Amino acid sequence: MPNPLKPEKSVVTTCAYCGVGCGFKAETRGGKIVRMTPWKEGKANHGHSCIKGRFAYDYYNAPDRVRTPLIRASIDDPWKPVSWQEAFDYAASEFKRIQAKYGVKSVGAVSSSRCTNEEIFLTQKFARAVLGNNNIDNCARICHSPTQFGLTNTIGAGAASQHFDSILQADVIMVVGANPTEGHPVFGSLMKRRIRQGAKLIVIDPRKTETVESAHCKADVHLAIRPGTNVAILDSIAHVVVREKLYNEAFVHARCEVNEFENWKALVGSDKYAPEVIGPLAGVDPDDIRKAARMYAGGPNSAIYYGLGVTEHSQGSTGVMCLGNLGLSCGMLGREGVGVNPLRGQGNVQGGSCLGSWPHVFSGYRFVTDDETRSSFEAEWGVPLDPEPGLRLPNMLDAAVAGSFKGMYIMGEDPVQSDPNQHHVIAAMKNMECVVLHDLFLNETSKYAHIFFPGSSSLEKDGTFTNAERRVSRVRKVIEPLAGLQDWEITVQLMNAMGYKVSYDNPGQVLDEIARLSPNYRGISFALIDRIGSAQWPCNENAPEGTEVLHIGKFPRANGLGAFMLTEYVPTAERTNDKYPLLLTTGRILSQYNVGTQTRRTPNSLWHPEDVLEINEQDAMARGVNNGDWVKMTSRFGQIELRVKISERVNPGVVYTTFHHAKSKANAVTSDLSDWATNCPEYKVTAVDVVRTNGPAADGWHEADRPRIEELEPAECA
Amino acid sequence: MWSELRELKDELDFGTPPRDGSPVTLDVDDVTLTVPAGSSIMLAAAKAGRAIPKLCATDMLEPFGSCRVCLVEIEGRSGFPASCTTPVVEGMKVKTQTEKLQRLRKGVLELYLSDFPESEMVEGWSELHETLKAEGVASHPYGKGGANHFDAPVDASNPYFLFDPAKCIVCSRCVRACAEVQGTFAITIAGRSFESKVVASQDQPFFESECVSCGACVQACPSHALVEKSLFEGEYKHAEPAEA
Repeated sequence: MPNPLKPEKSVVTTCAYCGVGCGFKAETRGGKIVRMTPWKEGKANHGHSCIKGRFAYDYYNAPDRVRTPLIRASIDDPWKPVSWQEAFDYAASEFKRIQAKYGVKSVGAVSSSRCTNEEIFLTQKFARAVLGNNNIDNCARICHSPTQFGLTNTIGAGAASQHFDSILQADVIMVVGANPTEGHPVFGSLMKRRIRQGAKLIVIDPRKTETVESAHCKADVHLAIRPGTNVAILDSIAHVVVREKLYNEAFVHARCEVNEFENWKALVGSDKYAPEVIGPLAGVDPDDIRKAARMYAGGPNSAIYYGLGVTEHSQGSTGVMCLGNLGLSCGMLGREGVGVNPLRGQGNVQGGSCLGSWPHVFSGYRFVTDDETRSSFEAEWGVPLDPEPGLRLPNMLDAAVAGSFKGMYIMGEDPVQSDPNQHHVIAAMKNMECVVLHDLFLNETSKYAHIFFPGSSSLEKDGTFTNAERRVSRVRKVIEPLAGLQDWEITVQLMNAMGYKVSYDNPGQVLDEIARLSPNYRGISFALIDRIGSAQWPCNENAPEGTEVLHIGKFPRANGLGAFMLTEYVPTAERTNDKYPLLLTTGRILSQYNVGTQTRRTPNSLWHPEDVLEINEQDAMARGVNNGDWVKMTSRFGQIELRVKISERVNPGVVYTTFHHAKSKANAVTSDLSDWATNCPEYKVTAVDVVRTNGPAADGWHEADRPRIEELEPAECA
Repeated sequence: MWSELRELKDELDFGTPPRDGSPVTLDVDDVTLTVPAGSSIMLAAAKAGRAIPKLCATDMLEPFGSCRVCLVEIEGRSGFPASCTTPVVEGMKVKTQTEKLQRLRKGVLELYLSDFPESEMVEGWSELHETLKAEGVASHPYGKGGANHFDAPVDASNPYFLFDPAKCIVCSRCVRACAEVQGTFAITIAGRSFESKVVASQDQPFFESECVSCGACVQACPSHALVEKSLFEGEYKHAEPAEA
């Protein structure tokens, strides 16, 4: 067969991997997906793609994909395949039993940023209207919750101020704690295009990432800070802006609360944030701090893009506020080419944030304690709703360990692998009487689950995703769901089994309900998206086709003014000492995606078969470690074994790894510290030490994972 | 500003990136139309519904002018300029379909065909195949057994796509896609003249090169020399020549 076989059908849909949300044409032949090609009219990607979206789609058909519902009475029992109805009835009876015995608030739900907007909305409806409490959280808790908090408090909206294309008008691009060319590759390519056209680049990142230097793209300033010093360095940049009067006085007076500006000036302008003080603390040259500040303030158009390197800290929310303050002070908001923009990790983190999968707010970030908002939901849903905020995911786990929280519906999440302090999560899971896991595959968490709902991949369902630029795009069903039901149907049927009757003909009707109840989504519908391709919220009567740039003229706060928050630097409690002299930080690689559930089931693993530990040559030599050696990495919280890669990407004193493979258990060593405001875990700073070892040890931290003797290779027994 | 990206259409390839200059009016095959300054004749022709055949041009990449298939005639100018690299000028009168042009294009396409595996012409659906069909070129007068690239080894190192140099027409679309769209600069053309060939990094297999497997080159390739493995059933190999 000399020529390729021509696909027969093509369906335009949205990639389910990262927050870029590329438009793709899913092409099929004989009912099988044979190719994904980037959609030229996709407004987030303009016909471009990356290795994940373009090629790594075959996980949907992996042999270990679960295709029937499973239940079991105890986690020590084997799984028993059952019918859908049996699974729904069992889950409903368990939740009811637990609530009768332990109280209404003893159960909760968690949704995922891999779910569609409609599924996320239904899951919170399940918690609030069916379980009757506000114990609902989502995985943005562990990545971008500080974004919502930090940006809402400064510029008024917890979302990207710009659309992606805006970067093509930026003169200075400041990337903080993000690595777009690996984590958000298609946006990374757009950024590089702009840099090749002459835009300047500032990178603040402990690691010399691919974004710092690649072909025809080199950062003008790279502040390779010591992990955990974000707030110090950003305050120091602000210090230079204040002391050298680089701020935009006209903008501040016209658009911001001036008293707060003065307070902020007094704080960051104080001597303790001088580059000469902060430079040595953060491990960077003070002159580079000054250079970065002058470059950013000089613009004329400067845009900030940031990632989890800002948020996943004990001062994550403060870090986000620093960026908001900086944008406000220099007048870099409210037009094309500027802005403060979070790069969202998963396809629908923004949707997860917007649609009320939070214990304290409904969709549109309106508080459950607010009577007016609550009554609008009560009217639509026909039940009284709990006015008291519910538990956050980490608090649900704490309560489970304490014994008061007994049941959980987990949609598309693997907390055992992805949440910090793994042994604590496992203890929580083991303490619950009913864990319902809704996913494509059995995973680390399923070891502790009682009911498994086999979900549908994004190729098997209808709905919408909201990407990192607030763009709502359609997810369209390309093939029939392998387990028979689309994810939204599963949640709906669970609600019905619980005795709360709902019926939707299609997820478009769920989106209509979202639109009725959420001001920013008021104008969004399947019909609109089908007509114009996609729409960025806010989309309403004032902006019938959506809004590309936020904050033009005023900020979405009560008085319309931007607010400066005080951002005192408070070092994390996680410190190095003689026993743990190195700082571990974590990140991603291009070919793998998050905990790897999808990409590890594709040939993408050929590029990244295992997580490795990057270590500077100096630290490696001091420990007698060579490239490829196994090392044991120990923190105050646990230990893991990894292979070493000696690399100039990290400075002495810093080590780095990825968390894509379950077997490397990177989160067994991360701390249980978290952001002061939102509980977002501090994944990015852990004090560790590294010693050479002979290979993965049999006596790992996790008793449950200790291999039995007969499973060990002879060499390992020796 | 953004017209290069935002005005792209899924079903229509303008041939060169859309522009947003001030309006320029011209005639293409007696169709009068107005396009932004900076647009190519090729783009104007596509907008006029008189699409010009092309191989090395596509609207996601800057024009390159290497394939010599898109030649046109311009009133008052000598020669046969490539429409992809010739910008529109106010009042310009362009002919895209004269007998002379058809003869020239046929000659160019026959040369491409003379170094394309004959067995792979059957049932092909790449842009090259479609262009040959549209221009009525099914054979060439150069005989068999001349110098060719039929036996160049296939690079199947990447798990997702393969590169078959036998089908490569060295139009540089992959090279430019890697540079302009992806920004990785992993692909280049090595050698000169008949020896020129597409190579990844330092003439390495794709998998071992700097290639990040974004697929931009595969998307750009007009001849299925770079093509997704998922479109084949079984192992990839050339069909046996008919007479063998």
